[in-house]
Amino acid sequence: MIFMFQWIKGIFTSRTERLLGAIAGTALTITLLASLGIFLAESSATLTKRAISDVPVDWQVLLTTSADEQMITDAIGKATSYTAFERVGYANVSGFSAATGGTVQTTGPGKVLGISSDYRTSFPREIRSLTGQKHGILVFQQTAANLHVKEGDIVTIKRIGLAPVQVKVDGIVDLPYADSLFQAVGVPSGTAPKAPPDNVLLIPVSTWHTIFDPQSQVRPDTVRIQYHVRLAHNLPADPASAYTYVKQLANNLEARIAGSGIVGNNIAARLLAVRADALYARVLFLFLGLPGAILAILLTMSVTASGKNHQLQEQALLRTRGASIGQILKFEALEALIIGVCGVILGIALVYLTGKFLAPVTLIMNRSAIFWISGSAAAGLILAITGVMYPAWKQARLFTVSSSRALVRTSGKPLWQKLYLDFILIAVSFFIYWRIRSLGYQVVLAPEGVPQATVHYEAFIAPFCLWTGGVLFAIRFWENGLKRRRIISKLLHPIAGNLSGVVAASLGRQRITLTRGVILVALAVSFAVSTAIFNTTYNAQSVVDAQLTNGSDVTIQGLTSSSPDKKMSQLKKLKGVSTVQPMMHRFAYVGNDLQDIYGIDPNHIGEATSISNAYFANGNAKKALSMLVQQPDGVLVSEETRRDFQLHKGDLLNLRLQFANDHQYHIVPFRFMGVVREFPTAPTDSFLVANSSYIAQKTKINAKEIVLIKASSNPVELVKKVKRVVSSLPGARVTDIGSIQRVISSSLTSVDLHRLTRLELFFAVLLVMGATGLILALGLNERRRNFAILDALGAKGNQLGAFIWSEGLLMLIGGIIIGMLLGFGIAHILVKVLKGVFDPPPEHLIIPWGYLGLLVTASVFSTIIAVLGIKVISHRPLIEELRKL
Amino acid sequence: MQDIGRTYIRGKTALTALDSITCKVVHGDRIAVVGPSGSGKSTLLHIMGGLDTPTKGNIAWPALGRKEKLRPEKVGFVFQSISLFNSLTVLENVELPLLLRYVKPLEALDSALTALKYMELGSIAYKLPEELSGGQAQRIAVARTLASHPRLILADEPTGQLDHPTAQRLFDILLKSLESSDTALVVATHDSIIARRMNTIWHIEHGRLEVEK
Repeated sequence: MIFMFQWIKGIFTSRTERLLGAIAGTALTITLLASLGIFLAESSATLTKRAISDVPVDWQVLLTTSADEQMITDAIGKATSYTAFERVGYANVSGFSAATGGTVQTTGPGKVLGISSDYRTSFPREIRSLTGQKHGILVFQQTAANLHVKEGDIVTIKRIGLAPVQVKVDGIVDLPYADSLFQAVGVPSGTAPKAPPDNVLLIPVSTWHTIFDPQSQVRPDTVRIQYHVRLAHNLPADPASAYTYVKQLANNLEARIAGSGIVGNNIAARLLAVRADALYARVLFLFLGLPGAILAILLTMSVTASGKNHQLQEQALLRTRGASIGQILKFEALEALIIGVCGVILGIALVYLTGKFLAPVTLIMNRSAIFWISGSAAAGLILAITGVMYPAWKQARLFTVSSSRALVRTSGKPLWQKLYLDFILIAVSFFIYWRIRSLGYQVVLAPEGVPQATVHYEAFIAPFCLWTGGVLFAIRFWENGLKRRRIISKLLHPIAGNLSGVVAASLGRQRITLTRGVILVALAVSFAVSTAIFNTTYNAQSVVDAQLTNGSDVTIQGLTSSSPDKKMSQLKKLKGVSTVQPMMHRFAYVGNDLQDIYGIDPNHIGEATSISNAYFANGNAKKALSMLVQQPDGVLVSEETRRDFQLHKGDLLNLRLQFANDHQYHIVPFRFMGVVREFPTAPTDSFLVANSSYIAQKTKINAKEIVLIKASSNPVELVKKVKRVVSSLPGARVTDIGSIQRVISSSLTSVDLHRLTRLELFFAVLLVMGATGLILALGLNERRRNFAILDALGAKGNQLGAFIWSEGLLMLIGGIIIGMLLGFGIAHILVKVLKGVFDPPPEHLIIPWGYLGLLVTASVFSTIIAVLGIKVISHRPLIEELRKL
Repeated sequence: MQDIGRTYIRGKTALTALDSITCKVVHGDRIAVVGPSGSGKSTLLHIMGGLDTPTKGNIAWPALGRKEKLRPEKVGFVFQSISLFNSLTVLENVELPLLLRYVKPLEALDSALTALKYMELGSIAYKLPEELSGGQAQRIAVARTLASHPRLILADEPTGQLDHPTAQRLFDILLKSLESSDTALVVATHDSIIARRMNTIWHIEHGRLEVEK
């Protein structure tokens, strides 16, 4: 027992550097794994939270005509807890009409909703006021445009089977979630019409009953009641689990009400859509986090293996004194335990500090966090034990000390080199990459209506093969390169002078150790570079996504009657405004389908918003816009429209637009010029883009309903000023890119990658510094001996330094070059493989030059520190080393 | 060396390795330093070669110049254990001290090859130290020292790890190579046979020196 304590004391005093290195490596691995895991868990929870907060109405329970309302209300209360509950009447009508400005406008079939005065408080996201009163008779914006009515005007409701009734308009509203509000509840996905009705009135429920109770007597099939419910949002954190939970709640309710109603489960549908994002988050974790963790493990293994020669000597001594292999391994196990336990304690402390300061998380003490911390700690402990015990066991089995010394390799090429595995892996990587590109492959597949989303893990093969193949190729290249002593000698001449030949020869014979160092540095650099490029591209793309949704840094959306372009001159003068561009937003009939049409000035639209190549099917924004310039009546349509109408470039496409003189829709001929997929402020489904001048000329309405503003300063500040300018315009809405970025939850870009970036990049710099410093420190005993010999032979300080500087610089430069190449390649493949993460996909990689500069500086700095440190440690005390000679 | 002393401080304990030693080495001297382990032989050689500094007394190298200029030009060391670079060949190991003296690489190569041939080691010039026997490795260490043509050779128990015949053979070569040279040779040794082959024997015990001609 006493001997055990003495052994432990000996470990601390004689192997301090190696022990501290191994503890630090273990702690780093634990911190990296746990921090990334916690981040992933929190991202998942955030996705769920954001997704459900975005759902205007969680459940729309459609009652059958003969349903017992009280029974259903009770059943809902028993099936789930809820925070809001409203009864809404839905009535179909054959149309609306209004006489305004000397003309009479008539619409097609529509809907009239009966809502209580509390509805807007209970479900505030469902209805957005544009002009007039917030309660009373409210007309949907598009209907108001069709009827050309404003508050105070009279609208005639054409009931089905009964005489029409007239109501006075109190306000104009927008229904941002009309799709779900008017969904066909209980109808299988894809079988009901997707588009919501264009003609909608919202009226107080009492008025609704007065008007439509008689209609329900005559035509009961045209009048229905829905219960709108907001559930208590105490759902599981993971989107997939949350989906299953709410789905089960709905099933439970439907079982209770036994056919008296059907649940329109909006919250489940939302969660179903988000599970793909959650899977992407997991894939991102694997792609971006795992290489870092593997690298940390490799570094730790290298540290623990670094005392091989020392360990051999100790083992030899113990065995000459009669110790068995079992007893020797017990002593080694003590060291492993010390490293493991200390690494775990330090690692947990670092996880806490990381979660507190570097990448703040809120889940620091919940179940997921505890799972990740304990799992990472266990992995760290296993790593430490394996790292120490495996080489110890291997060496203990070797017969002699000299037989296990492998500083200089004399054997031939390893099998993988003979089989050209590196070239094969790189070729496989490129092949899969080519397939992904050409076949439009999606890593995460989440088909609509199917509860299970799947991850195509084979997509991992491309980056994995590039990573592995690249590393193996780098080993081959570097080992062969180091054999070419003349070249290395010439390269080293500026550092080593006339010693360059022997230094090159020495390094050439230590090529295995040196190549290991180069590869570790290269892996650390490639991890940092690929992570930085991917994350920067991702973050930039999330801005593009937000800009696509918002239109520009600041966007004003108004009504045709009070268009914001009237304030153009005032807006241009505002401080913080860079450029201002107006844009039309009208509606046009394509056949019977009413679509949004955007009237732009193709020469100048790009000045206020970024027009990405990805927006157009031809992949060339400049060309697409120039076609509009050359063809004043040109129009860009959605792929769906092009397919439905079998359009070819130059074909005539008759659209119907509302004219100024009679407010009726009239045919306007356009020429089909191409396909547009996305456009700033445009909806995700079908829309049209045309020249604003042509639309104005034909409709005689020159109003531009949207104004895009590019800010030269903080858009949040600018919004306040812009709001003041347009405050007099009824219905004008001002939004900024930042607020939009926060509320976009349909894509993974809503996940804040900044924290992950900060976390990964911090660790990447640590790993690069660790790799350079560590490798130089690895052969410390050998180096001390060599330094003592050199000193005894009379080497000057610069000559002593020539050996270590040459090694350090070769490792650094080699590592950086290989790491950069690998990092760029992997980032490129990652962006292509994970294109589903991006909406729209990026046109090119965004290179964070500043960070890369910082990384190189940190690497150079850490090499300098390591070289100087090793020089000091290796050099003194000379006399003690000399006594060993 | 005048009244040289060397004391090492280990924590609160002071250990005297050399105590008031006065001695002189001149051209062509062949000196054996004998004494039990820990008597101060190595310390004496280290101080003579400028590797260590005395804590008391004066030392000067009137024929060799300043302390900083002693190595690698004027003083050569041979150590007890193998003191070769494992990652350099025999030839490169022998070249090394010449290169440290800023001799041109081609000249260094030439001198190293000559030294190896003289020591009958030409056939193993391109081998690595790990491929050599202990005797061969020590002969290389000697060749490395001789290749630099130093004025003083300090050998710290150069045959300590060799069997007797190999040790005698190594010493034969060393003495033969210095036959027509005025290079001084100081050898710390336990081997009385080797010691008797030298002109002068210095006995050292508890850091004190006694000279026997």
